[in-house]
Amino acid sequence: MLSGLLVIPLLGAIALLLWPGEVSGERLRRTCLALLVLQVAWSLWVLWQFDPTISGLQLEEIAPWVGSLGLDYRLGIDGLSLPLVLINGALSLAAALVTSTSTPRPRLYYALLLLISGAVNGAFLAQNLLLFFLFYELELIPLWLLIAIWGGSNRAYAATKFLLFTAVSGVLILGAFFGLALATGTADFSLQPLLGQELGMGVQLLLMGALLVGFGIKIPLFPFHTWLPDAHTEASTPVSLLLAGVLLKLGTYGLLRFCLGLFPDAWQLMSPWLAGWAAVSVLFGSLAAIQQQDMKRMVAYSSVGHMGYVLLAAAAATPVSLLGALFQMVSHGLISALLFLLVGVVYATTGTRDLNVLRGLLNPERGLPITGSLMIAGVMASAGIPGMGGFISEFLVFRGSLVPFPVPTLLCMVGSGLTAVYFLLLVNRVFFGRLSPPADDLDTPLPVVPLARQIPALALTVAVLLLGLAPQALGTLATATTTAMSRASQHLAALPVSAAPERLVAGGRG
Amino acid sequence: MPTDAAPPLIVQLAWLIPLYGFAGVALALPWASGWIRREGPRPAAYLNIFVTLLAFMHGSAVLSTVLREGPYAITVPWFQAADLTLSFSFDLSLTSLASLELVTGLSLLAQFFALGYLDKEWSLARFFALIGFFEGAMAGVVLSSSLFLTYFLLEMLTLSTYLLVGFWYAQPLVVTAARDAFLTKRVGDVLLLMGVVALSAWAGVMRFDDLYSWAAGAQLSPLAGNLLGLALIAGPLGKCAQFPMHLWLDEAMEGPNPASILRNSVVVTCGALVLLRLMPILQLSPLSLTALVALGSLTAIGGSLVAIAQVDIKRTLSYSTSASMGLVFIAIALQQPGIALLLLFAHAVGKALLFMSVGCVIATTNCQDLSELGGLGRRMPATTCAFLVGAAGTTGLVPLGCFWALGLDVQAMLRSAPWLAAIVLLANALTVLNLTRVYRLVFLGASQPKTRRTPEVNWQMALPMVSLTVLVLVTPLIMVVIDPVPGLASFSLPVALSLLLTSAGALVAGCLLPLRKGWSVTILRPLRLLQELLAYDFYTDRIYRVTIVALVAGLSRAAARFDRDVVNALVNRVGSLSLASAEGLKLSVTGHTQTYVLTGTVAIVLLLTSLSWVVR
Repeated sequence: MLSGLLVIPLLGAIALLLWPGEVSGERLRRTCLALLVLQVAWSLWVLWQFDPTISGLQLEEIAPWVGSLGLDYRLGIDGLSLPLVLINGALSLAAALVTSTSTPRPRLYYALLLLISGAVNGAFLAQNLLLFFLFYELELIPLWLLIAIWGGSNRAYAATKFLLFTAVSGVLILGAFFGLALATGTADFSLQPLLGQELGMGVQLLLMGALLVGFGIKIPLFPFHTWLPDAHTEASTPVSLLLAGVLLKLGTYGLLRFCLGLFPDAWQLMSPWLAGWAAVSVLFGSLAAIQQQDMKRMVAYSSVGHMGYVLLAAAAATPVSLLGALFQMVSHGLISALLFLLVGVVYATTGTRDLNVLRGLLNPERGLPITGSLMIAGVMASAGIPGMGGFISEFLVFRGSLVPFPVPTLLCMVGSGLTAVYFLLLVNRVFFGRLSPPADDLDTPLPVVPLARQIPALALTVAVLLLGLAPQALGTLATATTTAMSRASQHLAALPVSAAPERLVAGGRG
Repeated sequence: MPTDAAPPLIVQLAWLIPLYGFAGVALALPWASGWIRREGPRPAAYLNIFVTLLAFMHGSAVLSTVLREGPYAITVPWFQAADLTLSFSFDLSLTSLASLELVTGLSLLAQFFALGYLDKEWSLARFFALIGFFEGAMAGVVLSSSLFLTYFLLEMLTLSTYLLVGFWYAQPLVVTAARDAFLTKRVGDVLLLMGVVALSAWAGVMRFDDLYSWAAGAQLSPLAGNLLGLALIAGPLGKCAQFPMHLWLDEAMEGPNPASILRNSVVVTCGALVLLRLMPILQLSPLSLTALVALGSLTAIGGSLVAIAQVDIKRTLSYSTSASMGLVFIAIALQQPGIALLLLFAHAVGKALLFMSVGCVIATTNCQDLSELGGLGRRMPATTCAFLVGAAGTTGLVPLGCFWALGLDVQAMLRSAPWLAAIVLLANALTVLNLTRVYRLVFLGASQPKTRRTPEVNWQMALPMVSLTVLVLVTPLIMVVIDPVPGLASFSLPVALSLLLTSAGALVAGCLLPLRKGWSVTILRPLRLLQELLAYDFYTDRIYRVTIVALVAGLSRAAARFDRDVVNALVNRVGSLSLASAEGLKLSVTGHTQTYVLTGTVAIVLLLTSLSWVVR
């Protein structure tokens, strides 16, 4: 059944490519949309079959593939991957919906879109290290092409940078997986935690370090983030949406599933440093965002900041913080997708994303009032205003991480305050103020955005609100898994939790 | 505490009360977003007034039940996962319900007032949607008995303040005002969030009652306790516009007046109520109590002085709001919750009335500059009357609301800290002086060019104003009913006399003050410096600019530069270096197989050696 989530988009992509004869862009688009709707429906069916009380893998599908390599076709889903699969389906659909109907080379474009969607599903579902790696790499090429072919003026630079960074990330991950097999002496790439004394700590640290940097590039964490702003600036809106909403989550997913899951001991040893790294990443991303003059770059740097919370939560690895990490992945996926979508609308109608040029777009008659209102909702959600998805995620992360790592958590909260600073700058400059059209056409209104193109943004806003107002659904879905993950690294959490209260709360109910 | 039997349905459904306001937002959306254009935005306004009325009536029904059967507490589970339980609990006690009635009642009056004040406003529906949001959040804050819910709603209040202040977003001053309001409150909120998260992690509970019992037994280190206390008071300090987070309230006066009515009366009350609820936890931190007294006194005196130097009619009143809240903070810090509540109530209704009266002046004259107003007294009798009653209600001059509350306050201070009693008297005297000055400038004297044609306002504004005038006049009677301390008049005659005499002295001084409009800026050098210092609010905005703003801007510039010149430059350098070396290596292609094999062998040997270290 899980294979359906791979088969629909991947076969769909091949079918689009092989469709004989001249096919109109509109038809390709319809087909792609139909396939993506089918994929969403399929993942909803998986959700229906899913039992949230089980913490382990469910709906597993195992088939031997290349036995000599230890490569099995092994899929499974749990409370960590299911929400991400759902987000992937929804955002792929949104990306296809907001693609302009006059996109050049539609056949390749929609095929690549489907390919990405299928590969990401595969990466979230794969329960074999090599299989994960295959899908992880499979998603790179189409994304690279999407940036390199449909990107902005400086797309060659951005695409190459993206490709090099993520290729290094892939090499490191593959190296770590091979190193693991070599070190344990088994050619078995199934996902099992490395328990206790099987490996020396030096080797564990080395392998985990390689994985950390590999996934750190993908997330991205400071100082490996520098490909992200360029990729976002040059990518078209749907690609940015996918990149921020889904692909970055592969990095954090890998962090939780592989770094924390395979090397609990090494993770424990490193966790104070990781929490510090998270704080640096959050503060750096937020501070750098304040100085950005391009709306897309600003949102991209905010991603650097907000993905840092996930590292903090993973470092703490308490039940609440791991749940918070998942919440943050989901809410960041929705919110950043929403923000990129809206920036895309602004860019499409005004032709610029420059904060120094844009003014007063909230104007109800000549501006973009709906886009502006949704933007305000989006940035407020990102800044962690309660009632929207960002708040409950950040609250869970902070609540779970404060006791093990008080100082990094407080610094991350400062970062959450800084989010308000840069996004307020954005709203105040772009949407507030007086709309000043070029001198020669004083009364030309901006083109009206048709309602159909607003629907994805509206739907995402509703989803962000729902996540913020009724978080119990996601909580129920994921708690069993995240709690089990935390328990698997129990001895890891035990040390900092009991150490911190002695420092701060002597005798309080830590 | 709740009785054993299930509470009546009307009480069980009390969690709906904040939702009425939020429902108003949804109801106003079709008009606010422009889906419905043809009918004009009025229906959205009527719908919002209707839901506010519903909230008020529901609140009254619960209040009468509670008066009959004692307080209730209801809890709505919200989120439960892992070892974390978050629920929305509401405290249906006399105090919180009285505050609720104050919030919804004043919101009702302010919305009615807005019908007249914003008569020609094209985005009336948006205004009412925002007011609905505002009111819902406030109603929730006063009813909440869980720190989590309180924080949740306080942040929503911050957001709605931002949107309301930024209502006329096309004007540059409004944009900065909205930004400052949001960021100042946000600083307080983030600090408060730190406190909330810490409490949630340490105590594991979020209901105030549970937190009190935790705090009674908690053994925090002094550092942790003090940090916690300071974090917790930061939120209310920001909400109540206390020094050093007071600037936003003054700037927020760029927003529409009906929202200013609410902001200066009930929003600050909400902030103070939150502080009241936090008090038993603050016992963990003596430092935060000292900070409260110090900042409260500073704001009470400083705010009153700054108010006197303002020429903007709304700003002068907003500074006096900060000052009054300073007095409330002192009372709270000195463990006088009853007196603090009375002060809050009396101040809220009085200040709301003052702002309505000022709103009428602004609506009629389209001017809020004191030096351009004058002679309105005989032309606008209802407005004048409202100003006088409101002024009397917020000071200790005549036995209306604040007189009794301040009398109790002074009496209580005399016992513990006499110098604080002096501060209360001084702040009150300065407020009297300022209100006298404003009254003379606006309502007395000769007509100015802008005040020649000034008829009394339309009925939509006059009706709520006159109703509120009556309410302020009967405030002492209401205070007797809700009075939780022994007797409204339980202070000595000397205290009453000192309050009356200082007020009267300030009144006389205010009457004698030379107020020639051409001379509103003095030419005496030292006096001029003082005047500017006060008029520019001790240059607070510049202090912000050279401290916190400079810090954040400097750090962000450094981060951006580091990103550009180090991280990115390094990557680009590596890129161009590899390109260049490839160009160079191209030349070393010889075609000699030996060289290739040698290179390959060396590489393999190196790799294997490094691997052997790994597998060791």
